[in-house]
Amino acid sequence: MILSKIFKNTLLILAACLVLTACATKKEVSDAIQGQMQSDVYTGTDTVEYLADGVPDRVFFATNETILTTASRETLRAQAAWLRKNSSINVVLEGHADERGTREYNLALGERRANSAKDYLMTYGISSDRISVLSYGKERPVDAGSNPLAWSKNRRSVTVKAN
Amino acid sequence: MKKNFLILFLMALLPIKAFALIEVDITRGNLNPLPLAVSPLSIDDKSKKSFEKILKKENIGSEISTIVENNLRTSGLFNPLNKEAFLQAPDIANLKPRFEDWNLIKAQALITGKVTYVDEKLRVEFRLWDILAAKEMMALAFTTVPSNWRRVGHIISDKVYERLTGEKGYFDTRIIYVAEEGPKTQRKKRLAIMDQDGANNKFLTLGNELVLTPRFNPTSQMVTYLSYFKNLPRVYLLDIETGTQEVVGDFPGMTFAPRFSPDGKKIIMSFAKDGKSDIYTMDLENRLVEKITNHPSIDTSPSYSPNGKFIAFNSDRSGYQQIYIMKSDGSDVKRISFGNGIYGTPVWSPRGDLIAFTKLHKGKFYIGVMRTDGKGERLLTENYYQEAPSWSPNGRVLIFYRETKTNAKGEGFSAKLWSIDLTGYNERLVETQTDASDPSWSSLLSN
Amino acid sequence: MNRSLIISSVLHGALILITAMSLPFLAKKPLEIPPIVSVELIQIAEKTNIPFAPKAKKIIEKVKEKEKKLVSEQAPPKKVKKTKTKTVVSVDKNEKIDSKTPEAIPLPDKTVKKIETKKESKQNPDKLDKEVKQVSEFEKKEFVDLDNIAKLIDKAKEDTAEVIKKNNDITQDQDKNIVTSGLTLSEEDALKAQIFGCWSIPLGLPYNENLLVRIKLMLEPDGSVIKTEILDHARMNRPGQGFYKVLAESALRAVKLCQPLRVPTTGYERWKELQLNFDAREMLEG
Repeated sequence: MILSKIFKNTLLILAACLVLTACATKKEVSDAIQGQMQSDVYTGTDTVEYLADGVPDRVFFATNETILTTASRETLRAQAAWLRKNSSINVVLEGHADERGTREYNLALGERRANSAKDYLMTYGISSDRISVLSYGKERPVDAGSNPLAWSKNRRSVTVKAN
Repeated sequence: MKKNFLILFLMALLPIKAFALIEVDITRGNLNPLPLAVSPLSIDDKSKKSFEKILKKENIGSEISTIVENNLRTSGLFNPLNKEAFLQAPDIANLKPRFEDWNLIKAQALITGKVTYVDEKLRVEFRLWDILAAKEMMALAFTTVPSNWRRVGHIISDKVYERLTGEKGYFDTRIIYVAEEGPKTQRKKRLAIMDQDGANNKFLTLGNELVLTPRFNPTSQMVTYLSYFKNLPRVYLLDIETGTQEVVGDFPGMTFAPRFSPDGKKIIMSFAKDGKSDIYTMDLENRLVEKITNHPSIDTSPSYSPNGKFIAFNSDRSGYQQIYIMKSDGSDVKRISFGNGIYGTPVWSPRGDLIAFTKLHKGKFYIGVMRTDGKGERLLTENYYQEAPSWSPNGRVLIFYRETKTNAKGEGFSAKLWSIDLTGYNERLVETQTDASDPSWSSLLSN
Repeated sequence: MNRSLIISSVLHGALILITAMSLPFLAKKPLEIPPIVSVELIQIAEKTNIPFAPKAKKIIEKVKEKEKKLVSEQAPPKKVKKTKTKTVVSVDKNEKIDSKTPEAIPLPDKTVKKIETKKESKQNPDKLDKEVKQVSEFEKKEFVDLDNIAKLIDKAKEDTAEVIKKNNDITQDQDKNIVTSGLTLSEEDALKAQIFGCWSIPLGLPYNENLLVRIKLMLEPDGSVIKTEILDHARMNRPGQGFYKVLAESALRAVKLCQPLRVPTTGYERWKELQLNFDAREMLEG
């Protein structure tokens, strides 16, 4: 009687251990599967439009951040190259924030993000005369969802042709 | 020696009364709203007909008393009793209420009054009675143009409120806000203004360009706000009466988060350039611009103290959004928010004693207040998303806005105005015709 | 090599066994006994039976002084020596009188009567009669039974001394308790509970100001209010203290609403003047 009990309990312990180790953050697993986010930055292509072949029009940011990721820099380098080729085109960088913040601060955050992108373009030889910055804060989300993935798509700086 | 002492002692004991006055400490009571009766204002037939013709209202006497009733009820401090139970007719009650009758229905105070049409004007007199003490507490009369009848109701409410709570009222006020419509990704926004009870709603802009964060000036005749006119986000001034709009200053970049100084002479706002936002003021008379903060961080949401000597603002110079206070010339910057979470939208109370704010912590938004030294932080309400509190002119009520979650398809978004009392009680929805956000409370109109 | 292997595996096995065996103990949840909620039933008694604090002397002195005054008010101005004990005695009597029928005269009374018969009356019989008559007109619930007091005063002091001693011993506790506060704890609680229900505290009061209103009441024996007086009356009209007026008015409304007040059934002289200290701070500070 006691033996069977002990046996059962041992199995229980083993099973519990297995289950616990398997339970990594579900979210990370699901996002990784979708391949849309990495370290809170959107890496997908759903909402991305193209200025030209191989030149995505936008870069994405982590929550509250204005730092450019490696992927963002790649995108901006492509944009800079395209702008050098089309020297008559001027652009407006539109900065956006997700809805999980106060409205006024988000306006400033959007401006800072767009400015981050502008600075980087300038280091690749694009004159500041050709780039203007505009922030929409959280006013123009591209995805109306209320979830981390939607929010990550909204944290962006979009390069728009001005002429 | 001993004898003397004994005599003294006995003498000291003599004047003692037979029984010491018994003292009983009453430290608790109930926080129930005060039950009072608002009797419809009595009106003579001739006046009644005149007003019916002019205002298209059948009984202006009961219309005005309804305004008073609603105001007192929404304040959360009063419980206006059901009119069906009233025993005395309005005209008799106004002359001399039979206090026992009103006592029967458990009313502790009574409002009665009379409306007359005199010299093409609306004349209202009202009385406030203390039922338990069986005496008159207050009697006032007003004369104004008939179209102002709603304001008379609000002014009476303010007087009654002040007499019964000791504080100035907030009913004769207006609220300016952003009326929203449309899909979340392409919202149409217009400036709108309404009476504090939702009546007299008017749209002030057409909705062709994005408008945000409108605020009244101290006389409530001008509004400053952010407009994306021609795709250039700038701070503007709007004259409510004439409707004229003008841009504030000539800044080479985005200006936003505007407010008026307490004397109405300056606009304080943020100016964003090259990735940083600083606080600036502009004098409306001589158009002189002054830079107040100078820091690589984002400094925004400035709010003056009522005496104009200090400014509370939002800065991320410590890494995350926190609340700071500085002198009005920008010196002596001090951080005052130290709790867990992110703090934003500081607003200084008109009483000068508290600062209201928005807080984000662990994915939840809070509206709270803290003392001006940062201590005594109290969170009043929690929600999925809410922000931007604005004070009523008596510093007792906060109005703010909430947004709802959308479902997986991105549907179900709505934005609404809410208000809450400083004590955390009486959280209620402020009805608006459309969705609404960014509310701002005017000062008392009758000053 | 083998030996160490065996020992190692045995010890490991033992460890696993212990873990497995201890599981059942882990599995069992400790029984959650709900905390015992003690319910205190407060009866409104005339006397509070609390063990007395070590201030006996002082308070007994006080009692004596009080009793002295009391007696001198009601009795004809005869020698008032040792009147202290007499009132004690009568209190006892009163208690017993209330609980039983008015006619029943308990033991202490008998002893007094004994004294009566022993000694000669020094007082003018006529005067005594008058007093007795007057007494009988008054409510029987009077704290001090004038009838008995009058008699007591008349008698010689020596014999009452005996009574004194006896009664002192018996009534020590009760004696002290009457005196500490005019109202017994339970009486006070009853009155407080009543007024708590009637007082609508205006929510609009600033919670960080002095929110104390003191009201002096003059009461009828049945608890109805004859007169109210707001102490700190000057504060009502001081600028910036508008809320004080509001607070005071709310306290007055509470008193009016609560009439008749829940007053003790006896001892009118104790509480005919009452002071209520309304303090809203506790409620508003939250």
